[in-house]
Amino acid sequence: MFHILKLLLPAVIPSWRFFDVIAPSPRIQFVLLNSANPPSDEHCEWREFRPCPAHLSFLQMLGRMLWNPERNESLFLVSCAERIVQQPTQHSEDEILKRIITELKSNHSGLTEKTTHLQFRLLLVQRQDSRLQQQVVFHSRIQPLSAQDKT
Amino acid sequence: MSFDDAIRLTEILLGFAFAQQSIEHFKSFPNEQRLFIPRFILAVLLIIGFQTAWVAILLFLLGLALLHRFQGPYNGGSDRMSLLILFCLCLVYLAPAQRWQEIAFGYLAIQLVFSYFFSGWVKVVNPEWRSGRALCDVFQFSVYPASESLRQWSKSPRVLFVMAWGVMIFELIFPLLLLSRISLIIALIIAAVFHFANACLFGLNRFFWIWIAAYPSILWFQSRFITAS
Repeated sequence: MFHILKLLLPAVIPSWRFFDVIAPSPRIQFVLLNSANPPSDEHCEWREFRPCPAHLSFLQMLGRMLWNPERNESLFLVSCAERIVQQPTQHSEDEILKRIITELKSNHSGLTEKTTHLQFRLLLVQRQDSRLQQQVVFHSRIQPLSAQDKT
Repeated sequence: MSFDDAIRLTEILLGFAFAQQSIEHFKSFPNEQRLFIPRFILAVLLIIGFQTAWVAILLFLLGLALLHRFQGPYNGGSDRMSLLILFCLCLVYLAPAQRWQEIAFGYLAIQLVFSYFFSGWVKVVNPEWRSGRALCDVFQFSVYPASESLRQWSKSPRVLFVMAWGVMIFELIFPLLLLSRISLIIALIIAAVFHFANACLFGLNRFFWIWIAAYPSILWFQSRFITAS
C-alpha cells in the first residue's frame, strides 16, 4: 500500500519538470544466442530493438493521434531502461525481455530452432562537446527461450 | 463556463482520452487486457454520463492497479495527468459542500497552469535551453523523434533556437494569459497546437488528449475567480 502511495504522490503533487535536462538517452539492443554461454560483446550480433521508422508522412502522424500502441509501448520500454540504469529491477528487465520475445514472434524474425537464448543490453547515447558517444551500461540476464516463445 | 458544465465536459474529454488509451492495449498481453478492457467500458460510461461518481472512483482504483502493474506510469507525464484529473474529479464527487468541490476542481486548474509555467521555468534557468542547444539535443540523440528523418532538424540550430524561446516564453507567460477571456482562449488554442506538434514529432499522442481534458477546469476557474471580480 505504501508503495502504491509512493507511485501515486508524483501524480497528485506533480513537479512538472518536462525536458528540464536532456539526459543521456537509452537504446535497447538484443542478441539471439545458440547457447547459454555467449561470446564476448564484440563477437555478438547486437540488433537495435524496434528502431525508429526512417520517415513518417503527415497522414501517418495524424493516424497516430488515435492509434499509436507501438510507439507508446516503446516509450514505456524507455522508462523501463531508465529505471534499470538508475537501479536495476527484475520487473523492468522482465518487461523488456517479454516484449522483445513477443515482437520477434510476431515478426518471425531470427527465431530458429537453433536459437536457445536471448539477451539485451542498454546503451546510453550522449553528447560530449559536439560528438555523440555511446556507452554500454547494462547487460540483462541470459533468458532461455522455450518452444512456446518461438512459435 | 458554469461549474456543472465544466465537470461534465471534463468527464466527456477524460472518457474519450481513456477510451483511446485503452483500445491501444486490446491486443496486448492478457494481464494488460484484463485491466484495459474494463477501463474502456468505464470510459464509455463516463462519456455517456452514467453514474459518473462511481465510475470515476472505479477508474481511479483501476489507475492504482495500473501503477502497480507497470511499477509506475506507463507513459510518464500523460498518465500522471490522467490520475491527477481523476483524483480531482473524485474529490469533487466526495466533497460534502459546493465550496470543497470548487477547491478540488480549482486545484486541477492551478496544476494545469503550473504544468506550463514550471515547465518553462526549469527550461529558462538552464543555459543549454537558453542557447537552443537542448532542443538540438532532443532532435539529435534523444529517443523522442518519431522518425529518423526528424533528426535532420538538429542541423537547423537557428530554427530550434527560435522554437525553444517561443516555447519557453509561452510557458512562462501562461499564468498572465488568465487575465482576460480572449487571451485565455487564444492561449489554450496555442497550447493545444503545441501538444499536437509534440504528438506528431515525438509520438506523444496521449499528452494531447489528456491535457485538453483539463482545459474546462481552467475556463471555469477563470470565470469564477479572476474575471468575475
